[in-house]
Amino acid sequence: MACMDVREKLNILSAAAKYDVSCSSSGSGRQAPKGGLGSACSAGICHTWSSDGRCISLLKVLMSNACKYDCAYCINRRSNDIPRATFTPKELINLTLEFYRRNYIEGLFLSSAVVGSPDRTMEMLVQVARELRTVHKFGGYIHLKAIPGASRELLYQAGLYADRSSVNIEIPTDRALQYLAPEKNHASILAPMNFLAERKLEYHGECSRYTPKFLPAGQSTQMIVGAAGETDLQILTLSNGFYKQQQMKRVYFSGYVPLNADKRLPALTTKPPLAREHRLYQADWLMRFYKFGYDEVVDPAHPNLDLELDPKAAWALRHPEFFPIDIQTADYEMLLRVPGIGVKSAQLIASGRRFSKIRLEQLKKMGVVLKRAQYFIYHPDTPASLRRLYPEMVRPLLLPKPKSLQLDLFADQPLALPVAS
Amino acid sequence: MLSISYDSTFDGFLSVIFEIYRQHLDAGEIRPDRSTAPCNLFMQPFRVETSEESAQRLKRAIVNQASAEILDLLRVVLCSEEDGVEMKILAYLRKVFDGNDPHYAKNPTSDEMLPLYMIARAVRREEGGMLGMLRFDRTADGTYFAEIEPKYNILGMMVPHFRGRFANERWAIYDSKRGFGVYYNGQDPSQGPVEITIPDLQQVKAAAPKDDFVKLWQDYYQSIAIKERENPRLLRSCLPVRYWKHLPERQIAPSWS
Ligand code: SF4
Repeated sequence: MACMDVREKLNILSAAAKYDVSCSSSGSGRQAPKGGLGSACSAGICHTWSSDGRCISLLKVLMSNACKYDCAYCINRRSNDIPRATFTPKELINLTLEFYRRNYIEGLFLSSAVVGSPDRTMEMLVQVARELRTVHKFGGYIHLKAIPGASRELLYQAGLYADRSSVNIEIPTDRALQYLAPEKNHASILAPMNFLAERKLEYHGECSRYTPKFLPAGQSTQMIVGAAGETDLQILTLSNGFYKQQQMKRVYFSGYVPLNADKRLPALTTKPPLAREHRLYQADWLMRFYKFGYDEVVDPAHPNLDLELDPKAAWALRHPEFFPIDIQTADYEMLLRVPGIGVKSAQLIASGRRFSKIRLEQLKKMGVVLKRAQYFIYHPDTPASLRRLYPEMVRPLLLPKPKSLQLDLFADQPLALPVAS
Repeated sequence: MLSISYDSTFDGFLSVIFEIYRQHLDAGEIRPDRSTAPCNLFMQPFRVETSEESAQRLKRAIVNQASAEILDLLRVVLCSEEDGVEMKILAYLRKVFDGNDPHYAKNPTSDEMLPLYMIARAVRREEGGMLGMLRFDRTADGTYFAEIEPKYNILGMMVPHFRGRFANERWAIYDSKRGFGVYYNGQDPSQGPVEITIPDLQQVKAAAPKDDFVKLWQDYYQSIAIKERENPRLLRSCLPVRYWKHLPERQIAPSWS
């Protein structure tokens, strides 16, 4: 173990970190420190995409995978017989700086299994961030995981050096979490979240040019989807709460990939629920950028998202009374709700129609997907027969052809999704 | 009708527009010098030399009649190097300056503006993507060197980002498709990056020493992917194949091919 080289450690500790799906480098704008290296760009920057199509923007690794806990869903749990490794702070700092200089990454996303005690683990993470910032004048992005159970003092320090922090709730219901992760419960996860959210608010209150920044890019969290029988309504209700109460910047969903044979969990042969995960991201996107309420996307009568149809189209078809709309006069909020019209097109329509009528031809040029939008907009060019929405007739027309269902999954997902915050 | 040529720069282009107005020229096409399209035999060649003063005056006029954002957008649109884009910008400016509709310049969906707006969006998108996809190699003398071959002429737009981020490093970025680059010496903040050309790029690349961090990065790239989720189609739509050539992490055989 003592002579394990950096390359081996990197392989082990990045593979151990890959199930944390967050990789955003957004939310923080920073100029390079004087005489230092690196800056942060508030829109975030993707540097590459892995072969599973996820954006890579940070060096995402664990400090250590030698965990003393035994969470059923986790590859690093104590009862698994796998190679264990731990970085020294120096190795990790060097890797970060050298990757950064070659423009491979925006910065570091450092997490860890629980080694020794939560405090000892958190202390290691903070030490790396502190040295990067103070010794090396590193101005790039730093995301630190907050370890549940770590002292307030350490969490507070993490907030001073990191751009973003996260604690993963992982399992959407408290009971299932305690069942699957005996050492954890929702309260222990919410405690650091709330502490950091409150500290950030205080900082915001006394904000002056001289107060150092505290977690400028806020917090994020992640939920595993499909491991514990939860509904989409439960998931979205919880994530809505995170956005509202903890001022969470992002909530990530991670379709459960079976890693451990465990009778508490889906069988090893279960395919990760990628379609469902994708629909949840679309729903989340609607909540963050399209002014949808979570209870509009799903409700007790429809507790799960429609896997065949994106949530925006599904909502529109459940509400034929609002459609078709007149694009010359409809509220901006309603433009946003038309399937096939994105945020940028809606903005273009709203600013352009003040000067002249918007023609179908122009909608096409803006990138509006008329194939979808045509059923939902009212327009002088629209034949009179189409001026009413019949959901049962339109639904089959919006569905992807059966064969291409799998391929179509990502068709209308905005490309910037993994970074935009 | 005239075929007006200019030196391919933004100021050069503005000088052309300025002369078109001043001399009432009948422009049939506006050709940047880099253009390799065959000359139009039915048009008379006409040369406009770049004049900083004319360009300045036209810039002021555009800011007054439209806005500083529009001026910036036109600069970006010209970087697309799309065939005939100069005439499209001219058509837009004519409408702005004829003053028939005082609100014209603010309308992003007018027949002349909408195509320009969409072109600018595409150029800025590539620029934004390239800020991440550019890769520096460490050369023998410690200079970080990147080669890019973007679809649009975006190098100039990218410089401030790297200038801010790597203010204390020596680096160069070279657009080998267009045959020019910039070099920054990492020391002199008053002196911005300087333009360079490299006669023999292959030689420079061959001289670069082996770099262990390239290998570590390739390893990292492999181990961060989740096998059960592999999705070549999504990968290609996020990271178009035409950019792979300069990405060390895509030089290794992907496991699904
Ligand atoms: S504490 Fe974290 S690393 Fe340890 S087993 Fe649980 S989820 Fe895995």
